Amino acid sequence: MLILLSWLTDFVEIRESPRELADALTMAGMAVDAVESEAGETVFEFDITSNRPDAMNHFGMAREVAAIYRRPLRAPSTACAESGPPAASKASVEIQDPDGCVRYVGRVFTDVEVRPSPDWMRRRLELCGIRSINNLADLTNYVLLEIGQPTHAFDLDRLAGAAIVVRRARNGEKLVTLDGEDRDLTGGHLAICDAERPVALAGVMGGQATEITAETRNVLLEAAWFRPSVIRNAARGFKLFTEASHRFERGADWNAAPQAADRIAALLAETGPGQVLPGQVDCFPQPPQLSPIRLERADIRRHLGIQVDDAEVEGILSALGFEPSADSSGWSVPAVSHRLDVERGIDLIEEVARIHGFANIPATLPAVGAAPEPTPLASEDARMRAAVRGLGYDETVGFAFISSDEAKRFGSGDPVSLRNPLSQLWDVMRNSAVPTMVRALEWNLRRNQPFVRLAEFGRVYRRSEASYEEPSVLTLGASGAARPASWAEPAREVGFYDVKADVSALLAAFLPNAPSIVTEGVPSYYRKKHAAGLASNGEVLAWFGELDPELARERKIRQPVWVAEIFLGKVYGRGLRRPTHGKLAKVPAVSRDFSLLVPDAIDFASITEAVGEMPDLDSVEPVEVFRGKNVPEGSYSLLLRAWWQRLDESLTDQEVNEFADELRSRLQSRLGIALRT
Amino acid sequence: MSIEHKTGRPIDELIRDGEDPELLYAELRSAFEQERGKASTPQQGQALRDRWLGRRSGLLSATNDHWLKAAPRELKPVVGKLQNLLRREIEAAVEAAARAAVEEQAQAEPDLDATLPGPERACGAIHPVRLALEEVLDIFRPLGYSVAEGPEIETFFYNFEALNFPPDHPAVDEMDTLFLNDGALLRTHTSPCQIRIMESKRPPLRYVVHGKVYRNDTPDATHSPMFHQLEMFAVDESITFGDLKGTLEHFVRCFFGPQTQARFRPSFFPFTEPSAEVDITCPFCSRSGCRICKQTGFIEVLGCGMIDPNVLRNAGLDPQRYQGFAAGFGLDRFAMLKYNIDDILLMYQGDARFLRQFR
Repeated sequence: MLILLSWLTDFVEIRESPRELADALTMAGMAVDAVESEAGETVFEFDITSNRPDAMNHFGMAREVAAIYRRPLRAPSTACAESGPPAASKASVEIQDPDGCVRYVGRVFTDVEVRPSPDWMRRRLELCGIRSINNLADLTNYVLLEIGQPTHAFDLDRLAGAAIVVRRARNGEKLVTLDGEDRDLTGGHLAICDAERPVALAGVMGGQATEITAETRNVLLEAAWFRPSVIRNAARGFKLFTEASHRFERGADWNAAPQAADRIAALLAETGPGQVLPGQVDCFPQPPQLSPIRLERADIRRHLGIQVDDAEVEGILSALGFEPSADSSGWSVPAVSHRLDVERGIDLIEEVARIHGFANIPATLPAVGAAPEPTPLASEDARMRAAVRGLGYDETVGFAFISSDEAKRFGSGDPVSLRNPLSQLWDVMRNSAVPTMVRALEWNLRRNQPFVRLAEFGRVYRRSEASYEEPSVLTLGASGAARPASWAEPAREVGFYDVKADVSALLAAFLPNAPSIVTEGVPSYYRKKHAAGLASNGEVLAWFGELDPELARERKIRQPVWVAEIFLGKVYGRGLRRPTHGKLAKVPAVSRDFSLLVPDAIDFASITEAVGEMPDLDSVEPVEVFRGKNVPEGSYSLLLRAWWQRLDESLTDQEVNEFADELRSRLQSRLGIALRT
Repeated sequence: MSIEHKTGRPIDELIRDGEDPELLYAELRSAFEQERGKASTPQQGQALRDRWLGRRSGLLSATNDHWLKAAPRELKPVVGKLQNLLRREIEAAVEAAARAAVEEQAQAEPDLDATLPGPERACGAIHPVRLALEEVLDIFRPLGYSVAEGPEIETFFYNFEALNFPPDHPAVDEMDTLFLNDGALLRTHTSPCQIRIMESKRPPLRYVVHGKVYRNDTPDATHSPMFHQLEMFAVDESITFGDLKGTLEHFVRCFFGPQTQARFRPSFFPFTEPSAEVDITCPFCSRSGCRICKQTGFIEVLGCGMIDPNVLRNAGLDPQRYQGFAAGFGLDRFAMLKYNIDDILLMYQGDARFLRQFR
């Protein structure tokens, strides 16, 4: 909104520099974005909040200035000479929908001549960014900028029956608006009609059939008040946003309507030519009753923390156009039609506060109140985040939108879809965080990053019975080297066991026992035989593995990428494992190695299971797994190491040899595995 | 008679043979000096130590046994003193010789190139938004604030109606909402959680709510359809606008630096009244004007206000009894200001080069 300094001074004295004025208005809630100097004129660019339509014009802004500096405010002149027959004898106004149109003021001008406006008016309009059209159109724009009341000029001779009827349109009625568009009207639209048909879309735009032309001689001027929701729906329905609709949908002032009509009459009389017929045709069937507002003195202190002097309160409210009447505990303040946003005591307190100045309210600190509540799962989350970080994963955040195609490939069930998505690539809320991670990996691989480790803490979204669920998931992504390349160590590609180790490490803080490995039911977006899950008590807590190479290829990823998803709800739900200390042995453990030839069908878990429980057996670990040379097809060679330990005394060689024999015989009898020779 | 032989004999015998304790020890000392002079390698140094200080067969052990312990009572103080003196001298000399030998060997070794990098073992990065979040939480927790997140899929009621947005008000449009097919929506701000908390808990309330929010905004350097918001609110019987000012002034000083001043500018939000925007003095140029503050010396950082009585009422609290304040801001923007990030989309690309700066 552009405001001219010189126009403001028509209504209020200004002694301050433009910069000082801009600062003062900004600090009173009228944000000045820029102060420009143009051809000897100072132009303020305001960003006015949507609750203050009253200030979106020069007179309204002058009222703010008057309130800030407590200076008198002069209203624009509406005095003019009228002549000829009464306006009411030349035109009629009828409101059939008093809910949609609360007031309709008509003014009749005869013998006008359409021609350019005077220079001073054109200049003001143009400085405010409005193109000059002709004297009549300019007058309506000028008054809109001056007092904020949208008006419309009809060619009276083209109004059938010289009548205005404000009513809901009938389904099927049509109107060609001033922009040349055919508009199909329905019963939802408020129409300005003549005796026969709609001639304007109320509060939004006039119609071509009755517009002012070079031939226009007689004019009916409309100044009305329309219900904001009606105008808003019409403007949105037609995607037709005009200066008038902007103003009406934010709430105009029904008492500004007659004022605007008179102001235009006065300006027309001044700039001529034309005759102003006496009187207004003012149709105001049910003037709205505004409730008086109660402002308690104690409430000012209660909300602001300071007591503002009575004189200051009254001075501010009066300057803003209110008429407070004081009593023992506060004030009774009639609501005013130019500030429909002010209807409660708190609204008046805000007015007092902003004009008194927020800077004049001293800063204090509230008491603590109550003991804060522990954040649910905060310790679990902090532990997980620290572990992820410690393992070297860089935390990323991705958009929660994916495409419905991705949702089909990576998720199950109907995804939560958006009614107005930003793009087809983002038309659903993700039901899996894997596609998000794959996009991030892809981004990095395209930028030739040789070592990528990413982690995202986020949510996935799905419908539940009554509403929605947003379970948390931690997604890991890995590609490239197992460790950043270095002169000190040979490079190695990251692989299944690296990812397994990381996921296991992340789960360790939550599980009293090692999780079990699951190979059934691995989602299909993982590469077959290169992925698995980790479960505890039969519940899968994480999937991890290599991304299906076909999916990777579709995304032009030409190297293996690894992802893992850890279902945080399930993991955190178990709580942090409570560590308990066991005794430490006083003597070292003793080990024996077993070189085994194992058929491929027997996995490592089967071997540890076959070994089972044994007295003093501490652990069994794979030292070397080898396939190939000297190992028959269909088998692998396993070097197994078993450790025995007794807490308080050393084991003798003989004891350990007996243990080793027992272990060998279990492998032999339970799995048919023999020592390699 | 050799040194070894002498130290193997009891001192009273030696005295009878005409030896003098002082001379005996002097003789030992000079023998040691001679041998020490010849020991130059670490091996020779070790041999010297064994020969003189060896616990079982060292020469000093022998003098201890045969001279000191066997000395007649009247000689004991004298011999004891001599013995101690010699032991200290020999120990110090042997120690010095060993040190010198190690030193010499190190001199001969090639220099270690300590400037070569070790194999990289970096801790992962914390996302800048998270970094900013942690910092903000660290400021509010000691002030007694609890932390909540709330659902991202919200109802029109919680996102707008309960927050005093009139159903037909342009403010609803300004929010550029992303809707789901059934009329639910992606929360456009964290404020719905304010209502949920006020509905389920009784004042006094001090809460920080944070999380993802969504707007139907085309992505560019300053707009992202998903971003992070944080808001804090307090509800109690005696919360004032002055408390809001004090709390936020403390907050911006902690977050942006102790010199930072806050300026409260009247504004409008449907859910607060009075409402304010907070500008801070530009921490980058100390108000002298720079690119970041667009030469104004101030940066707009957050919106706030006293919770509108309608909002309290909608959440089931009596506005005659309770009041509160609320303030909210974009965590992304805070992180961008703090870490000099000029494009919000960097936050969501997952570019490892970007993220690693926050390790």
